[in-house]
Amino acid sequence: MIAYKFLRADGTGVFTRFAWPLPADGPGAWVETEPDPCRSGIHACRVGDLPYWAGRVLYAIELDGEIVEHKTKVVARRGRLLVRVDAWDDDFRAAYTRHCADRAHEIARATGLERWEDVIEPSVPEGPALLGFVAARIAERAGGVPAYHAERARQSEWLAARLGLV
Amino acid sequence: MAEHISCQEVVELVNDYLDGALEPEEASLFEQHVNFCDGCEFYLDQIRTTIATVGRITEEDVPPETRDKLLDAFREWRRT
Repeated sequence: MIAYKFLRADGTGVFTRFAWPLPADGPGAWVETEPDPCRSGIHACRVGDLPYWAGRVLYAIELDGEIVEHKTKVVARRGRLLVRVDAWDDDFRAAYTRHCADRAHEIARATGLERWEDVIEPSVPEGPALLGFVAARIAERAGGVPAYHAERARQSEWLAARLGLV
Repeated sequence: MAEHISCQEVVELVNDYLDGALEPEEASLFEQHVNFCDGCEFYLDQIRTTIATVGRITEEDVPPETRDKLLDAFREWRRT
């Protein structure tokens, strides 16, 4: 299975700080561990999961062995980084952040939640993960949990189309 | 179940998170929040650092005067 994984700028895991073997002339080395969601295992994103975990750098990752499908992630026994998604750079992160901010304004104005607009622009410097959440949270406030998920799905479609992901 | 958790809930759940005691869904929401909230990320790092530091200190490492002050503080804390 091909999935995606966000890492810190130094190539370490966002939560584990594990130093991932990075791709050089070819894929990075395989990493293997017991798959147990949020405790151990190789955690990665399907395209639809990307907005929940937006981070600094993005890699395509090959997963192998037992794979556990989770609500917002997949967890596998084995994984290796294939290639960095170069399109996910600082300019792209800023563009996606702006897109989410604009969507948040649009939803707030369309649903009578102008009061919520106060939090949008001050959040922009914090980057894409926060603005994606803010837009989805305003959608949820207006239309309930289904609207939250619909906005997240819309964000992942925006990302997939512009990053060329499948 | 909620689709997100607050900063206050992160503070309440941080020990269970670090102990691996949260259910997967709850741990996932915890990590999603930390991923977008710089304040909570900093807090989590602080707690991790504290645990790593305190975990290396044995009772013999604590000067008697400091130990007595700590014991007094804990006794006072239990009374309040």
